Amino acid sequence: MTGYRDTRLANHAATTDGTLASPMSTTPSPDVLNPPKTVALVGNPNTGKTTLFNALTGFRQRVGNYPGITVERKTGAIRHELGETQLQAIDLPGAYSLNAQSADEAVVLEVLSGHDPSSPTPDLLVSVVDATNLARNLFFTSQLLELGMPAVVALNMVDAAEAKGLTIDAEALALALGVPVVPVVASKGIGVDSLKKAVIDALAAPVTAQCPSFPACVCSELDGLCESVGHADGECPTAGAPSERAALLQTLLDPGGHHEEQLIKRCGVRLADELAQRRQRIADSGESIVEVEAKIRYAWIERVVGDVVKRVRPPRKPRTEKVDSVLTHPIYGFVALIVVMTVCFQAVYTWAGPLMEAIDGVFSQVGAWLTAVLPAGPIQSLIVNGAVAGVGAVLVFLPQILILFLFIAILEDCGYMARAAFLLDRTMSKLGLNGKSFIPLLSSFACAVPGILAARTIEDRRSRFVTIMIAPLMSCSARLPVYTLLIAAFIPAKPLLGGFIGLQAAVMLGLYALGAIVAVVVALILQRTVLQGAAPPFLLELPSYNLPTPATVLYRVYEQGREFCISAGTVIFGVSIVVWALGYYPHPTSIAADHEAQRIAARQSAPSPEFLDMRLTEIDRSEAGNYLRHSLLGRMGRWIEPVVEPLGWDWRIGTAAIASFPAREVVIATMGTIYNLGDDQDENSIGIRAKLHSASWPDGRPIFNTAVALSIMVFFALCCQCGATLATIKRETNSWRWPLFTFAYMTALAYVGALVTYQVASRLI
Amino acid sequence: MRGNSLLALNAGESGTVFGIVGNQLAAKRLADMGFVRGARLEMVRPGAPCIVRIDGACVGLGAGHQASIALS
Repeated sequence: MTGYRDTRLANHAATTDGTLASPMSTTPSPDVLNPPKTVALVGNPNTGKTTLFNALTGFRQRVGNYPGITVERKTGAIRHELGETQLQAIDLPGAYSLNAQSADEAVVLEVLSGHDPSSPTPDLLVSVVDATNLARNLFFTSQLLELGMPAVVALNMVDAAEAKGLTIDAEALALALGVPVVPVVASKGIGVDSLKKAVIDALAAPVTAQCPSFPACVCSELDGLCESVGHADGECPTAGAPSERAALLQTLLDPGGHHEEQLIKRCGVRLADELAQRRQRIADSGESIVEVEAKIRYAWIERVVGDVVKRVRPPRKPRTEKVDSVLTHPIYGFVALIVVMTVCFQAVYTWAGPLMEAIDGVFSQVGAWLTAVLPAGPIQSLIVNGAVAGVGAVLVFLPQILILFLFIAILEDCGYMARAAFLLDRTMSKLGLNGKSFIPLLSSFACAVPGILAARTIEDRRSRFVTIMIAPLMSCSARLPVYTLLIAAFIPAKPLLGGFIGLQAAVMLGLYALGAIVAVVVALILQRTVLQGAAPPFLLELPSYNLPTPATVLYRVYEQGREFCISAGTVIFGVSIVVWALGYYPHPTSIAADHEAQRIAARQSAPSPEFLDMRLTEIDRSEAGNYLRHSLLGRMGRWIEPVVEPLGWDWRIGTAAIASFPAREVVIATMGTIYNLGDDQDENSIGIRAKLHSASWPDGRPIFNTAVALSIMVFFALCCQCGATLATIKRETNSWRWPLFTFAYMTALAYVGALVTYQVASRLI
Repeated sequence: MRGNSLLALNAGESGTVFGIVGNQLAAKRLADMGFVRGARLEMVRPGAPCIVRIDGACVGLGAGHQASIALS
């Protein structure tokens, strides 16, 4: 808290010389225990902040969440050989200003001011600025320097600035800002050691930052506001601190912003009137409320930059603009986007295929081996059918997820993602979404989990939540086997539109379209009901194109893969065990005795060894099916039969549907078992198709027909049968409310969809 | 030409910001990103959203923001 010691002095100074937080000096007390000093990395988006964080910490990082909001928090130790001081870094989310429209955006100020209970109060901040774009980056820096804490400016991408014909006099800049300035090239590790040294030196040096002066009317109203708020919550230890002052400046100058909302929540409506009066007085003295801060700071920056940046070469048309004349073009841009996305998804499906088969193969071999090694019984079944199958069900998706994230990380790191968001904003904003919603939704066609994780790039909380809620409606690759099986078995291969498309392909396409169309409707309803409010208009700086940094890209892929395994893995694993138990118990011994008798009879009467083998397999399958029928799961299936009957389902389909709630990919194996086929069925097995055709109601009518197949497929298309997705939504929204909501609305939608499908189709066909 | 908004600029045309008008959501954000009185803008790609160059940086702006940036 050293930075706050002479706050009162700073406030006093502000009233007399018009400075918001005047230069001040503090000396940190010598610490006997020598706890690590915390260094916060702050800066605009796309300044290479994360690359610098990686370079400083050498990838020794911990990722966490801030309580109550959805921004991820990264911390890591900074290794150095410059004495005893231990350093740890926090990577804060990129921002253009301390101004906040949501709790997620306010996190920068919360952490820097020590209000965030989950983070240590930073002892120093490193403002990361893009040297090619210095003036615009200095806006945020000038706000940060007013926080009264020790600061260092990391002037990143100096090589790119030189290539652009700009030289920046770091010493002159340091003099003008009153803080050390270190030129770095984070992607190549240049200047990182000097930065560490500057940080350690600055921790021990007095704070002497220079800040712009605000007009007297703003200063006096801000002083008054600080005083009123100080009275309102006198016990608050940071009342009157420079960070508090910075928050109140944003409150005063941003009508309707997040800070105003928070203040009124904290101090009561009385403050709303006071704020209005103070704003009126500022407006009366001829200043625009929303523009005054920018006007003062940009004027100050112009003076600072004028002496510091020298253009050694006249500007040529930069490469970025040449590329952008194609990539943001309304026609060529879309063509390029379609090409990029096709390549990406082709890779996800084709490269991942062999890897997924290999993983699947390894797990079934491990299962087979364990079945042979372990004695038969509940332990064997738990390990093979519960644990091994559960872990396998998670890991089989890892290749797709890693490849998808490799593409997303590359596209984001090189700057293309901002262009994709720009191109798609017009379409997506009509749905209450954001240009950036497109990638998460497209990713969800492979798997909703990486799709939901990819929604992190959407800054606007409301758009982000709508995106997350509808992502599971996109037909993911785990639904494909259900579609394939039922279409092959029950949809005739008739040509449509004069042979242009087959009926089977049309049904498949229809199921994919169904998910997407329902998602659009749900998005429109959500933004009129539970996620109301206008989305702020599109505002995004398009960064210069860069070659992606391999280490940053690979680290991000690794992080996402790890996160998937942890968050999805634990849930799928846990739920697999529960479903296993429901499908295994009570396991009556009478069934075993009955089938053992059949085996003995078969051995005695078998005409040939081949026939015996066949007969024994049949008995094994019938035994497994019998156990499942008598299990809790089977009973639940029968119990819900009246509920699923209007969908055209019998209790066996109901049971398979219940069993596939944790992870929908198990449905075919469950149906295989329940129809006495063994659980080694896949969508291409002839056995299961024939068996489904012959399955019948007690009165002899066949259960399966086209209408029932359609009803099952519609149910699977719309239902959220994926524990991993729900766990990811919980993690990303930081609340159980949203996963429960998603589960409830999708289940309801699936039931109604399947009901309508069956009732209509059974009358038409 | 006072009262013109950014919507009136064609590709390649430049203008000077007069101020931010209307009660636009996140208007302060717009100002903080440099759209303040006196700032020079160049329209790179008109439309909604559009791309403008300000201070050497390209910024994508939605229709709502375009209408609230008055040019002098």
